[in-house]
Amino acid sequence: MAPTKIEQGHGRIVLRNDASGNVFSELAATYPLKLLAPRLPSQNVSIVYMLSYGGGLVGGDRIRLDVEVHDAACLAILSQGSTKVFKTRPGQRLSANDHIHPVTAQSLNVRVAPACALFLLPDPVTCFRDAKYHQIQTFHLSKNSSAVLLDWVTSGRKSLGEEWVFSRYYSLIEVFVDNDRIAKDAMLLDERNPDGSPFTHRSLADSLAPYSCYATVIIYGPLVRDVMQHLSAAYTAITVFKQHAPPSLLWSFSPICSGEGCIVRVAAKETEYVKHWLGKALWDLEKILGIDVYRRAFS
Amino acid sequence: MDSDHEAYILLLLSDSNLPTGSFVASAGLESYVTHGFFSDLSPATLQSPPEKMDCTVNFLRDNLSTYAHSALPFVLDTHRAVDQYLQHADSDPASPAMRRILQLDELYESMTLNHITRRASKSQGVALLTLFSKGFSQPRLSGHFDPSADLIDSRAANASVLVDRLKLLIRKEETHGHLPICWGVLTAALGLSSDRSQYLHLFLQARSVLSSSVRLNTIGPYAAQQLLLHAVRPLVDYEMAQCKHLTAGLLPSPTGDESENANDDEIRGPAMTWPLGEILAARHDLQHSRIFNS
Repeated sequence: MAPTKIEQGHGRIVLRNDASGNVFSELAATYPLKLLAPRLPSQNVSIVYMLSYGGGLVGGDRIRLDVEVHDAACLAILSQGSTKVFKTRPGQRLSANDHIHPVTAQSLNVRVAPACALFLLPDPVTCFRDAKYHQIQTFHLSKNSSAVLLDWVTSGRKSLGEEWVFSRYYSLIEVFVDNDRIAKDAMLLDERNPDGSPFTHRSLADSLAPYSCYATVIIYGPLVRDVMQHLSAAYTAITVFKQHAPPSLLWSFSPICSGEGCIVRVAAKETEYVKHWLGKALWDLEKILGIDVYRRAFS
Repeated sequence: MDSDHEAYILLLLSDSNLPTGSFVASAGLESYVTHGFFSDLSPATLQSPPEKMDCTVNFLRDNLSTYAHSALPFVLDTHRAVDQYLQHADSDPASPAMRRILQLDELYESMTLNHITRRASKSQGVALLTLFSKGFSQPRLSGHFDPSADLIDSRAANASVLVDRLKLLIRKEETHGHLPICWGVLTAALGLSSDRSQYLHLFLQARSVLSSSVRLNTIGPYAAQQLLLHAVRPLVDYEMAQCKHLTAGLLPSPTGDESENANDDEIRGPAMTWPLGEILAARHDLQHSRIFNS
């Protein structure tokens, strides 16, 4: 039951749950966005893969996805492989007549009704050399809905020697609970404008070294209380003695919304370390999502 | 406000003895040092170990950049709201200005997503308001001031009312009292221009980092002084140029459509620019031994 017309690059997901289980009352997208919802053994957990044609986004692509989760349904949004952001479409030549919008943008608007849950567990975003990427994500939850929202970025194509050489990565995540904003995470990784800088250039790579992957996870709600408690306990058990070199992985945990939610940040020298860490840290999700969905997200 | 008065206020506010509580805050520097970031991070170099002064400036540059991007918009917006109120205030209660301050304070709270920074920001914010009412109010001094001369102008009186109300709301835990907000209130109340206010705020942040560095014994007091003269000024100028026009953005419209921003090339709002600094600052309390509170 797709709506009659969707704008280019837009998608819409509406998930409901009738007596027999989860049902997508809407699931539609237009080029270059693609949505896939494979069948799952569980009746009450659904997954949607958010894909793009050719496996990447290019300068000027504008993706917008609107999602609603109703009737105590549980939805996981995943991707297949990292979201690659190119400066221009491969093979496309830039000439003076081309009007390619310099910014690639992806926006996500989600409403999670009471008692529902959303798990946004995509692979990381990888911005290639000179790419400019904006990601705006807004989540409207209610007091007893639950969410795990992962956002992560890598330093680029390491195999090509790219290490934080994109032009801009801007990620804005806002979480509202019953219309109160509980978190607004605005992260801007911008190649600094050397004009007017008094010193030798300090690149993004200098500031973010020695790590090549940064992740942020916002967790909220009754369904995932165990996850938060385990993370909080593990965090407070850490004692840091004076170190002579930075560790290969660092993470932090901060409660938000008087402990109803939390924000976890992770940095590591390799993307795989972060992935492995997240898989362990969010292991409690297996009970909620089922082993199949959990494995799809973390392996 | 004449420039003599402004210069005098600047002298007072830049006094390092002001009881603002900043001496217990290292802005994440202590954790940065403990976690081994004063080592050479560039791979495969055989050069001599990095100078501690260089490492200090690395931290200073990254820290100032992220602080300028996240705090200056709130200083500016708060300053504007208070200044407007003080210019046009009649006897009417400060409600529109106060509402705006509370919105900004709430937004700053929701954007400051690590508990250590939030804690430090709140205690320093409240200290500034206390400084204003206790340290900058007109003393009685009846033996010296002529009681017939009315020295308190209406602007100062209105400012006191505003600050007292804000303090009360913070004490009742109805708002947070974050540092950039309280700084905006204080400097507008004292008649400093928004430009000067932002500049001084960044300068004080930088100086506080350098004082922490001296207390941590990573650089000596003379080195800190050298950096203040030769490094901090151009750094503060640079960050001012990047960030002084940023604003906190439109205030809560939960139903509003933020995705419009996605099509916007410019980033006009506050942002955190150094995720590594966030993680390290949030790990402050995990250190086995520590001399600062943040």
